[in-house]
Amino acid sequence: MKKGWDEFEIGAMLRTFDGSIDNIAGTSQDDRSYSENSSYTASVADWRLIKPIFNKDYCIDCQFCWIYCPDVSIISRDKKMIGIDMDHCKGCGICAEVCPTNPKSLIMFPEQSEDEAEIASWPAKDEEK
Amino acid sequence: MSEMKKIKNLKEFSTSADRFEGANLLCPGCAHSIIVREVLNATNDDLVLAASTGCLEVCTSVYPYTSWDASWIHIGFENSSTAVAGAESMYNALKTKGRLKQPERNPKFVAFGGDGSSYDIGFQWISGCMERNHDMMYVVLDNEVYANTGGQRSSSTPIGSSATTSPAGKISYGEKTNKKDMLGIMAAHNIPYAAQVAPNKWKDMVKKIQKGFATEGAVFINAVSPCTTEWKFDPKDTMHLADLSTDSLVFPLYEIIGGKEFNITYRPKNIVPVEEYLAAQGRFKHLFKDEYKYLIKEWQERVDANWAYLQRREEAKV
Repeated sequence: MKKGWDEFEIGAMLRTFDGSIDNIAGTSQDDRSYSENSSYTASVADWRLIKPIFNKDYCIDCQFCWIYCPDVSIISRDKKMIGIDMDHCKGCGICAEVCPTNPKSLIMFPEQSEDEAEIASWPAKDEEK
Repeated sequence: MSEMKKIKNLKEFSTSADRFEGANLLCPGCAHSIIVREVLNATNDDLVLAASTGCLEVCTSVYPYTSWDASWIHIGFENSSTAVAGAESMYNALKTKGRLKQPERNPKFVAFGGDGSSYDIGFQWISGCMERNHDMMYVVLDNEVYANTGGQRSSSTPIGSSATTSPAGKISYGEKTNKKDMLGIMAAHNIPYAAQVAPNKWKDMVKKIQKGFATEGAVFINAVSPCTTEWKFDPKDTMHLADLSTDSLVFPLYEIIGGKEFNITYRPKNIVPVEEYLAAQGRFKHLFKDEYKYLIKEWQERVDANWAYLQRREEAKV
C-alpha cells in the first residue's frame, strides 16, 4: 500500500529502482528493475483519443520517431524500430508526422481501431509526393 | 575524464538507453521531454540533475512517481542552478578529501529551468553560478511563457504575443516588449560555452551538448521548446513549429565560446518568412487583423536585422 500525501515524510527520496544498478546508461529499459515509484510502471494510455499504428513493411528504421517521441514510447533496439510502448504513448501524433516514408509506416487511427484490420487496409503509395 | 559517447548518426544514437521515463504528465506533444531526452542521451556518464519549478518539474515528479532514472533534486522556482552548483562544489570537496567511494566516475551536473525561472525568477542565481564558473550545464527550456501556471507573460515572451497577463484585444496587440537576449547576457559573463539549440536539429544539439559536457566550467544552453498549449497549435505539429522557428531565423542557432568566439551553426537553405511562423500559432492570430498587420512587417525587419548582426559578428570574430 502506498503512502498518502499527508504521510509522506519531508525530504524523502523516491527510489527509481529496486536494488542498485551500476550502469544505467548501459542497461536497456527491459533489463532494469524499476521500483513502484518509477513512472515507467505507471500508464497514461487513457489520455489517448487517437493511437499510432506501426506497419513494419514500410519502415526504413530512420529513427526519426524515436528521437522526436516526447514520451519515450518508440521502442528501438539494435538500431531497429520494433514497436510502440502503448502504456506511455499519449497519442500526440508527432511520430506519424515526422515519418518520412511513402506511404507512412506510422499512421494515427482512432483509439478503438484494430491493428490487424488497419494494417490489412493500409493506404497505398501517394504518387503526388 | 570519461570517454565521449560516439554518436555519428541517428541509428547509432537510437541505441541509447533512455534515462527519462514516459508516463510523466507533460502535455501530449510537449517539446520539453524531447529536449531533455536529447540532452541526457548525449552522454553515458552519471548525471546529477535538478529542475526549477515549471512544467518539467511538476510533471515529472507527481507523487508517488518520478520520471528520472538519475539523481534528481526537486527544488524551488529560482534555484535549480545553485542546487546543482552546490552539489558540484560538494563533489569537488569530497574528491579533494579522498572521501568518494568511486572517484573514477565523473558525474555531469545539469540544471533545467523554464524561461520563467531562468529569464526572470532565477536570473540572479544563474548569473552567480556563471560568474563563479561552476563545472555545470544550465539548460533553459524556452517556451516563451509561464506555461505551468496558465500562460502569463515572461521576459522571454516576444512582442505581439497574446498571454493571459498581456492579452490581445480591441486596444492592445498583446505583449508590448521585446524578448530579452538571455544568451547574450550569459555570454557576457565570459563563460566557456554558451549556445542556442533547437530539438528539431538533433545533431547540432547533441554536438553542442557534448561540447558543453567536455568543457570545464559553466555552460549555458538555451533551447527553443514549442508549447502546444500556450502557442496554441496542434500537438502533432511540435516539430513543424520547431522547424519554422529555426528556418525563419526567429530562433537562430549559434554558439559563443569564451564569451567572444562566435559561430553560427545552422544556416537554413530556404529562409521561411516570419509571417509563416506567426501564422502557425494561435497566440499571434490577432496580428493578421488589418490594424495590427504593421507588426508582422516589424517582426520581419527585426529578425532580418538580428540575422545581419549575427553574421557580421561571426565575420568580425568578436
